[in-house]
Amino acid sequence: MTRVDLEYGAATHVGLVRTDNEDAHLTVPPVFVVADGMGGHDAGDVASSFVVEEFARLADEGLDAASAARTVAAALDAVHTRIDEFDAEQQAAGDPFFSTGTTAVAAVLVADVDAPYWLVANLGDSRAYRFAAGELVQVTVDHSLVQELVDAGTIEADDAPDHPDSHIVTRALGGPVHHEPDLFTVPAEESGRILLCSDGVNGMLAHDDIARILGEHPDPATAADEVVAAAVAAGGRDNATAVVVDVVGLTREEPHVADVQRSATKQETGAHP
Amino acid sequence: MSAMSSTGAAGAWSYRVGPWFAAFGPRVTVLLPESQRDQVVGVWSLVDGGAGFDDVLDALLASGLSRLPGFVLVSTDEGPTRVLLRGAGVSAILKSDADEVAIDGSASGTWVERSVDGVTSLSVALAADDADESSEAGAEQPATDFTVVTGLVRVSRIDRPPYVEPAAAEPAAAEEPAAAAVADVPADEGTPESLDLSAGLPADLSADAEPTPLADDAAPAELADVAESAEASPVLAGDEPAIDEPAVAVAEESSPLDEAAPFEDSMAVDNAPAPLDEPALMDEPGPFAAASAEPELEMPTDGDPLTDPMPPAPTPAPAPTDWVTPWDSPPPAPEAPGVPEAPGSSESSESSEPSEPAMADEPGGLTEEMPAPGADPMVDNAPAPAGETEVAPSPYAPPPPAGDAPGVDLPPPPLPVGSWEPVGGPPLPPPAESPAAPAADSGMVDAPSAAPASDAVAKLMISDGQQVLVDRVILIGRAPEARRFTSTEQPHLVTVPSRLHEISSTHVEVRPGTGADQGAAVVTDMGSTNGTVLVQPGLGPEDLKPGIAVQLVPGAIINLGDGVTIQVTRP
Repeated sequence: MTRVDLEYGAATHVGLVRTDNEDAHLTVPPVFVVADGMGGHDAGDVASSFVVEEFARLADEGLDAASAARTVAAALDAVHTRIDEFDAEQQAAGDPFFSTGTTAVAAVLVADVDAPYWLVANLGDSRAYRFAAGELVQVTVDHSLVQELVDAGTIEADDAPDHPDSHIVTRALGGPVHHEPDLFTVPAEESGRILLCSDGVNGMLAHDDIARILGEHPDPATAADEVVAAAVAAGGRDNATAVVVDVVGLTREEPHVADVQRSATKQETGAHP
Repeated sequence: MSAMSSTGAAGAWSYRVGPWFAAFGPRVTVLLPESQRDQVVGVWSLVDGGAGFDDVLDALLASGLSRLPGFVLVSTDEGPTRVLLRGAGVSAILKSDADEVAIDGSASGTWVERSVDGVTSLSVALAADDADESSEAGAEQPATDFTVVTGLVRVSRIDRPPYVEPAAAEPAAAEEPAAAAVADVPADEGTPESLDLSAGLPADLSADAEPTPLADDAAPAELADVAESAEASPVLAGDEPAIDEPAVAVAEESSPLDEAAPFEDSMAVDNAPAPLDEPALMDEPGPFAAASAEPELEMPTDGDPLTDPMPPAPTPAPAPTDWVTPWDSPPPAPEAPGVPEAPGSSESSESSEPSEPAMADEPGGLTEEMPAPGADPMVDNAPAPAGETEVAPSPYAPPPPAGDAPGVDLPPPPLPVGSWEPVGGPPLPPPAESPAAPAADSGMVDAPSAAPASDAVAKLMISDGQQVLVDRVILIGRAPEARRFTSTEQPHLVTVPSRLHEISSTHVEVRPGTGADQGAAVVTDMGSTNGTVLVQPGLGPEDLKPGIAVQLVPGAIINLGDGVTIQVTRP
């Protein structure tokens, strides 16, 4: 069995505008999660906490390569079911229109294979990135109106962050439809570092800025702190949460992140170089 | 069961050499003009795989009717005979006990379709004019009718039951001997295959050998139907076990080759130097000519006409494997020499076969062209033109680079590729291989019966020894990653070694095809840095365009660089 050592850190901040932090995160190797309780929804913090709880259970029970994808999808579906039940309780308690929701992005290391990999799942607009050799690549694809506009060619990707509808999420946990998560795999040996974050981070910081900060801070906890701090400093319009995980032990063959601080970043659009 | 149901297809066809492509399958027969060459390989794969009338029609029209100037689709399934024609100069005559129906493809702007019960004979004629470059081959050829059951050939006319000219008996007789001789050989080799089906080969073979082959053959097997009319018998013969078909096809096929041989011999001498020219060329003639000429040189041991033609074919195939991409010069060289022989025997035959189908066109075409023998790449690796046979094996051999256990892989690999028997005659060699051969052969005869239970549409034999069934999305690369999938369709990630990092992290995707590609695997370059080269049987190397899926035919070889190749076989 391949042994993989992980180092990680996390940071979260309510921001400068919101009064409550509805983000939640989990760092229990090999499971890492960020959830963004949906602003505008009721009790978003409860919804995001469901994500953490369900994935904590998953981390506790463990998972294997053969069933990892199904296990992760099942965990997300369990969250949705709990949100449905919670909505029903609140509606029964006198709030007929109660409806909460949350995003979720999870990275689970699948190590019981020859080539360990991250299994990444997302619903909503919280993101996973991978960072290696100074290059930051967005792994997930937002489930957002803006992303759909970009995909459709209606707007340019560069304009997306400033789009007035950038907060509209097209897929999430909560609501009448149980959406399937999108899943991704990222080879562990090539992903020196994984970043999970809520849109309070990537909505406030340019892609290159995130890359630069990750490159400047070899320690994952420091890197997470600095990313969140930068997001707050940039305006802090939303809750900002970052989880940074480094794979150590498999990355020795690769140039160490700290040795390659050129911020030669680029956004990957689908091609695999 | 499938075999029984498809009995209707058991009846042999006869064809005359010409520019059109004809894919004779167990359930349907498709004719395409020469201009549709690019489509032929895919159509053959479909037809040979046992696809029915509707599926094949869907595939033919996938890119739009306007892009298909002409075609003929004949259903020989159970029930009424359905014929669909399109194009000027395309005509058919269907005779039944009660009626005679003439159909002209130019009678409609779209196509003409007829469905006739109790058809006793069917004839489709194709105006030679339509052909683009065509007709040289056809024109030169005498109006000889060759018999075929399933296979891919080039034609100007097809008849079912096989066309028998009153006076034509003599020429047939002359040829017969050769066929008979061939037949004996195949029978022996074929026995393993035949076992699955049933013992019918010997009888059939002998029948074939007879002067009035077709009619006679059918007669014994057939009962009352035959009695009604000798000509009709073949059609009716459909009831006969499918088993007969393979044998027949072989025997028949061989005969044409034999005939061609004389011509080729002379050609061979001339050609010998030429080989270097376009190995890649798809031209049908090339392969055969090469084969015929070379076989004699290389294959003397076999001596059988059938075997001879086969060996040559390999040469074209080898090109792919040997063929070295600019970036992977080092690895390839070792491969060619190392693996050649062991895998070579089986592989070479197989590899050759794939190429043959395309090239396998009628003898006439063959004689004209003989460039195929040696590809440039081959030449580089291989010591000399003579070495071609050795080279051929290498394609499969790729394992050496991987260094894992080429030997181990080889046995299983059996390159179902042999399935490329399309041409009919060639298939024989593969029989040698125990396990794989039967499956492939059966596929020829009756696609359905042979097919494994799994959903896999193909198997990938990677040169590092890995074998992967294509029953879902397969992502192959140095460190592959999968993007945006759902929990029920998790891609299979296959990591391949790339010492020189010539292979991208996620280099290619292979997945079961949909729509027109249904039942086949398709490959897509995922935007790799150094590109991917695909060699389909009978075709030259093709650079994949990033993001554009290409249907894979059994026998195809995908070269990722860094000495890593992937051979596509039947599951």
